[in-house]
Amino acid sequence: MAFKAIIQRELKRMVSRRIYLFLTVVAPVASFLFFAAMFRTGVPTNLPVAVVDRDHTSISRSLIRSLDAFEETDVAMEPGSFAEAREAMQRGEIYGIFYIPPEFRRSASSEKEPLLSFYTNDSYILPGSLIYKDMKLQSALANGVVQRTRMTARGVTEPQLSARLNPVALDTHPLNNPWLSYAVYLSNILMPAVLSMFVMFLVVFSVTEELKRGSATEWMELSGGSIGKALAGKLLPQTVLMGITGTFCLALMYRFLHFPLNSGFFPMFTAMLLLIVASQGFALLVLGIFKNTRIALSACALWAVLSFSISGFTFPVRSMPEAMQWFAHLFPMRYYFLLYVDQALNGIPVAYSISSYLALLLFAGSPLAVLPRIRSLLRANKYTP
Amino acid sequence: MGNIYYIFRREFRAITADSAVLIFFIGLTLAYPVLYTYIYSEETVFEVPVAVVDHCGSSGSRELVRAWDASPSIDVAARCTDAEEARRLLYRKKVYGLLEIPADFASDLAGGEQAHISLYCDMGALLNYKALLQSASLVAAGVGKKVQVAGLPYASTKQEEVTATPVQMEEVKLFNPQSGYATFIIPAILILVLQQSLLLGVGTLAGTARERSRRKSSLPSNGHYRSAFQVVLGKTLAYLPFYLVMGLWVIVVIPGIFNLTQTGSRWDLFLFLVPFLTGCIFFALTLSFLCKEREMPFLLFVFTSVPLMFMSGISWPSTAIPPFWKAFAYFFPSTHGIEGYVRINTLGSSFGEVREPFLRLCLLAAFYFLLAVLLYRKEIRKARLSLEP
Repeated sequence: MAFKAIIQRELKRMVSRRIYLFLTVVAPVASFLFFAAMFRTGVPTNLPVAVVDRDHTSISRSLIRSLDAFEETDVAMEPGSFAEAREAMQRGEIYGIFYIPPEFRRSASSEKEPLLSFYTNDSYILPGSLIYKDMKLQSALANGVVQRTRMTARGVTEPQLSARLNPVALDTHPLNNPWLSYAVYLSNILMPAVLSMFVMFLVVFSVTEELKRGSATEWMELSGGSIGKALAGKLLPQTVLMGITGTFCLALMYRFLHFPLNSGFFPMFTAMLLLIVASQGFALLVLGIFKNTRIALSACALWAVLSFSISGFTFPVRSMPEAMQWFAHLFPMRYYFLLYVDQALNGIPVAYSISSYLALLLFAGSPLAVLPRIRSLLRANKYTP
Repeated sequence: MGNIYYIFRREFRAITADSAVLIFFIGLTLAYPVLYTYIYSEETVFEVPVAVVDHCGSSGSRELVRAWDASPSIDVAARCTDAEEARRLLYRKKVYGLLEIPADFASDLAGGEQAHISLYCDMGALLNYKALLQSASLVAAGVGKKVQVAGLPYASTKQEEVTATPVQMEEVKLFNPQSGYATFIIPAILILVLQQSLLLGVGTLAGTARERSRRKSSLPSNGHYRSAFQVVLGKTLAYLPFYLVMGLWVIVVIPGIFNLTQTGSRWDLFLFLVPFLTGCIFFALTLSFLCKEREMPFLLFVFTSVPLMFMSGISWPSTAIPPFWKAFAYFFPSTHGIEGYVRINTLGSSFGEVREPFLRLCLLAAFYFLLAVLLYRKEIRKARLSLEP
């Protein structure tokens, strides 16, 4: 009965202030929709490049046309000189320059080795590498065209041609993300990481409020002095609410945006629920360790922001300095990322992912070690600014 | 003048007396850039472990594997007899990719037919995929070229090479030659941390003042706080000294310690930072009106850092940002700050070339200055009304 009373009290508290609606629904859902809108094309298209054509022949024109035909590349300008193109790049207007030298066609047809140059601006890594790929392919195509004319002239027949042009063909299989979609690769971690942040904030903020209003004594009395009951009653409504928002996140990604979900629903649903309770566990743990709500809030903010980097989805953890590789184990998001790769993306047997599920459970259970400290924090019922 | 000085002194004391604010203004700005530069200090991925399944076992296939293993980004960690074994290694994350060479690889090459090799990549981290793909294409092309040259019985060696690749290619990566991750992301983090720490610190000051005031006002009820203009100016003067020092730390010291790219002129950077920092302060003062409590800034502002990063045009190309969000991004000083800073610092633009983002920042600073003055005016008026019986 005490348990039910605490839950009712918590629900009443949560509807009494708008900030709770903001933390549980408005801010996380707005972030999900933001990321969904931002990456809606999957791969950025029509990235502007400049072509400096000093040849002005039918061959150079056709090179430019086929470069422009790539979905990711858009030939946005054709300045007369390289200097002009470089200035445009400095202004951030273009991400790459494709340079066709004077006399290109003549040297190509007279065995003289003309030089095609392409420049990318890798201060913008993503567009830089996409354009690099297109320009490289374009140069290879140019090579093929020239070789083809020469070889046919020598009487090499069509079936032998592709073997001659490209003796070793590399067939690439990007497993389970053949579209190389950045939407899949980014949203799958960004969205849950935002949710995890708000889960942690919600826990610490709701305890802060009790201390600030001096209502922790009343709360503890309701639970008959049991800290376990008190915390469980307070957190359960939060878990359920965040669980609903988390399920919305899963539905958005796998149902509406059609991201790969090769594991089926339950492994990822479990991962999401465990991420939520693991984040709650982490928040309580730091609250117990520091016995100070402000420091706990700062620690959660630090953890949440670092999660985006240290989960290792943009820059792999194994390429970080060794100290960071150890540090990464202390982040629930790290394990959620591993679960996403195993389950949603690759759909491998759940047995391979047991340790990551267990790690999240461990985070959820970790506050048990500091329960007495949390109890004394609530008993003191004192707010330290 | 006297009032401004009074407000400045009182705000300055409020900052130094509050460890939470000092942590935001100094601790955060001091530590974050160091931490992030450390995380990304390797710049790129090296020695990604991969598995090879060589069904051919010829000298040619072995040479291909050796060449791939020699690439700086690749470490052939396992040679498997079948794809099943390699797949299990992939599942256990012992390897992140797998190259399969078919049994007829050598005979195809010898017979003048195209040989196929297959590369399978784990797509959990795109950076690993990029490393695998680039090194494998390079190695395949290298082996291919040898075959092409060997397949031409006539002509001199030079002529053979010309025939193999009649068109030479030159690839130049400007401004970030090794495609370093730190070189790309750290400039944006540096600028963002200045804005976000101000939002958090100024929000905490305002929230604390409101919480402690019986009238829920962020301003004390004494005669010095009568002009909103003076309030904004006095407060700004209190924050500025901290941020001039932290600005130096972020712009000069951090890139110096960690050897980050610094092509532009330092004086251009300083000049550019003036409207950025003042803009950020007015922006923070404006948004501090959302903070009714000391803890609010955490709940309201921390999560915005990642979306702001994506809206700045660094993590996601600005040409791919939907128009609505692009317009939305205009209202944040960080968007223009990052653009200008990257252009000056990394791309080596002169001050004249960043006039546009500079002017946008000035406009934004003026906008938030006016907004902050209006909001304080309202607050002062409300306070006066509540004082009258």
